[in-house]
Amino acid sequence: MSATFEAENLSLAFGKVVPFEGVSFSVDAGEIFAIIGPNGAGKTSLFNTLSRVYQPQTGTLRLEGRDLLRSRPRDLAALGVARTFQNLSLFAHMSVLENVLVGRHHLMRSGPLAAGAWFGRTRREEREHGFKAQEALELLRIADLADTPVSALPYGQQKRVELARAITMEPSVLLLDEPVAGVASQERAAMAQVIRDVHRSSGVTILLVEHDMNMVMSAADRVMVLDFGKVIALGTPPEIQADPAVVNAYLGKAAS
Amino acid sequence: MNTLLQALVSGLSIGSTYALVALGFSVVYRGSRVINFAQGAMVLAGAYLVSWLALDHGVPFIAAIVLAIAVVATGGMLFDATILRRLTAKDINSSVIITLALSIGLAAVIEICFGTTQRELGDPWGADTVSVGAVSLPASRVWGIGISILVAAAFVLLDRGTRFGLAMRASASDEEAALAVGVPVWRVRSLTWAIAGVLAVIGGVFLTAYPSSVTPTVSSAALAAFPALILGGLDSPSGALLGGVVIGIVQVLAGTYQPTWLGDNFDTVAPYAVMIVILLVRPYGLLGTRPAERI
Amino acid sequence: MTQVTPVRCFSALLLVACLATPIVMSPGFVSVCVFVLIAAIGAQGVNVVTGYAGQLSFGHAFFLAIGAYTAGVLGGDHGLSALIWVPAAGIVAAVIGALIAPTAVRLRGLYLSIVTIALVLVGQYLFVNLDGLTGGAAGRSIPAFRIGTLDLSPGRELQVGPWQLGRDQLYYYVTLVLLVLVCLYVRNLGRSRVGRAMLAINEGELGAAVLGVNTTRVKVVAFALSAFFAGIAGALYGSYLSYVQPDQWSLILSVEYVAAVIIGGSATVFGPVLGAIVVFALPAVIEKLPFLHDTGVAPANVAAIIYAVVIIAVLLKMPRGLIGLVDTFTRRISTPNKLPPSAGDGGLPAEPPAVLAPRLGRSQHP
Repeated sequence: MSATFEAENLSLAFGKVVPFEGVSFSVDAGEIFAIIGPNGAGKTSLFNTLSRVYQPQTGTLRLEGRDLLRSRPRDLAALGVARTFQNLSLFAHMSVLENVLVGRHHLMRSGPLAAGAWFGRTRREEREHGFKAQEALELLRIADLADTPVSALPYGQQKRVELARAITMEPSVLLLDEPVAGVASQERAAMAQVIRDVHRSSGVTILLVEHDMNMVMSAADRVMVLDFGKVIALGTPPEIQADPAVVNAYLGKAAS
Repeated sequence: MNTLLQALVSGLSIGSTYALVALGFSVVYRGSRVINFAQGAMVLAGAYLVSWLALDHGVPFIAAIVLAIAVVATGGMLFDATILRRLTAKDINSSVIITLALSIGLAAVIEICFGTTQRELGDPWGADTVSVGAVSLPASRVWGIGISILVAAAFVLLDRGTRFGLAMRASASDEEAALAVGVPVWRVRSLTWAIAGVLAVIGGVFLTAYPSSVTPTVSSAALAAFPALILGGLDSPSGALLGGVVIGIVQVLAGTYQPTWLGDNFDTVAPYAVMIVILLVRPYGLLGTRPAERI
Repeated sequence: MTQVTPVRCFSALLLVACLATPIVMSPGFVSVCVFVLIAAIGAQGVNVVTGYAGQLSFGHAFFLAIGAYTAGVLGGDHGLSALIWVPAAGIVAAVIGALIAPTAVRLRGLYLSIVTIALVLVGQYLFVNLDGLTGGAAGRSIPAFRIGTLDLSPGRELQVGPWQLGRDQLYYYVTLVLLVLVCLYVRNLGRSRVGRAMLAINEGELGAAVLGVNTTRVKVVAFALSAFFAGIAGALYGSYLSYVQPDQWSLILSVEYVAAVIIGGSATVFGPVLGAIVVFALPAVIEKLPFLHDTGVAPANVAAIIYAVVIIAVLLKMPRGLIGLVDTFTRRISTPNKLPPSAGDGGLPAEPPAVLAPRLGRSQHP
């Protein structure tokens, strides 16, 4: 599944602090769209706005033509939008499998009464969705960690759990906020490959915030560059790499 | 009209005591983001200590108060230093339960030591009353209002006019940042507990002076400072003071004018009814600020 | 082919002990057990809303009272059978819980705790004044458990096989059966979608919301379930005591229930049961201590001090509670060579590995 994403003239302000303003872009269905920029450029704030945590002061945001600004964070899953967090949002005391299963919450139906009775709908659902969750774990090569509490895992594996959870939501849009940041380079390549595999098999639209230039330039169809909250360039990777404004603002500094 | 005036003045006097107790809550909250549910028990401890020293051991009243303050303030600081600091700042539920546990344990200790029979505070004002026109107030209550005003003024001076006050506001706002600029956060925190101890004892004195007495129910009276705190805004000391006075007035007005269909003792419950309304309508109170959440 | 393991043996022995207790032990002992069993049912309610969903509520005493008074009105004033008033007590409390919850859960953390304290205090005032239902400050009687010919009124006995069972013993078995059902429910809840949603909200409400969890609805469900178990526990409690008064439904009672869940182990199936044993049997145990009688110290006070200390110790040192201890112990004896998974070495997780932090609600960080 995939969906189109359109933002026009988005601006966000907290009092005098303006994380970004006048941001416009559109993402085609099935596209991999990267958002890069130096730290503090407003990328995470933009992501938070896209995932409806923040309400922008101006602008429009559309998902498949539907006004997304009317939605709340909890509506996103049903709308097909899944998001990973830069600083992880795993549930520390739950196991890997339990964490991923929460991703399937919106696809499951069992309520408190059915849950209590267990036999019947709940047991069937748990089994069926358990399999799906396992599939996501296998995709990320962490199936053997299913019952481990996530707080006991090293960072790299925690990142995988977060990604597995987003994938298992069966989204049409994946918002990945620095999915490989802080991860050792060998693991990065593996995770990047998973992202590409998922994209190839499901055609999901991906919006990606990343600092890893190799990953961005090799995987992304188009790239948007933010600096000080404004869009300074938008185009294909070769166009971006050649853009003097971008080189000036960003690529000159240390990358990955 | 006279009844109204009398009620307002009585409300002001009980309210000024609530203001002190609420200020104690507020100060600790600012210093460590913890609501000290044991404040009521500290009030109780203060009152019993003063009574025990003054009546059973003939200690002069002022000295008894000073000693009680020393004990309660030190106890509070120790409790914070040894137990509360071990909790992470985000673990609010644990701090609530721990301070509640302290409250219950402390109340039990007090009851074991002093029993449940009523006792006098041993204050010097006795049955004197002060009358102005048609309004009269027990002398202890007049002193209560006066001392409360002094203490409140002293606190505001401390908060706005000294480096300590600035340090307190800094560490309340962002502990890590305060530490980074050299604010002695732990010392500030200890001092807030000490101040809370002082306020608890003074509040205890005026809650139990004649015509009241020292009984275990005093800690529930102190619980009425909660609504004061919420009304004023958790993180605003001046809000706590304002809230205390308002709640005191509301309580006495409710007691004086309560219609029969509301049953008995509506005045004990009126502050909580007000609090529930505030929490629904304006949870951050009159002078409080909404906390910012960083994602 | 089921294996014979030390844990299984122990469980079997425990089962036998549970069933044999009323027959073997003295009525006094059995009576304490009944209170503990009833408290365990109530504690499971706190477990759901505070242990699993992380919402620290002190309103439990209020819902216990609702259950007791429902039992009184339906069973006492209208003479209905326990088959009706036991579930009704739960349902009435749950409905009231569901009505209050949506507004209450808009408040977070501290504010929620404070508003539930107000609920208990306002509740006590209401119970004193609604004397038609509650008998006012003097209190009212609550009927004995009666279903058809099974009558647990004082003085009645039942012949079961070779044994003559009195009131205490019969209440024991009835409450034991109900507790088992409640524990089964909680176990199933924990393994299901709703239970996971509650745990997720506990650990990170925003993170849960972004995954599609309707956090308000889940929290309301948690409150309603909690009130349901409280209602049933309150009804049974009133029924066993035969008489209740408004000053029983105090803030201290709520705190005792929360304490039971923390001490026993929150968000576990048996933690609340263990915790109920510790908290609610303690006064009876203390009463037996010889040196106390001379000093005239009330057992309730000694109990209060003890579990205040225990709560603090548990929260600081043993956040998984007694069940956590049991769990570590059984894991050691059943798989002595298997080490628990080691903490991360590849890099820092964004949040410090909070293995030891209690599951009590850390809802401000996704």
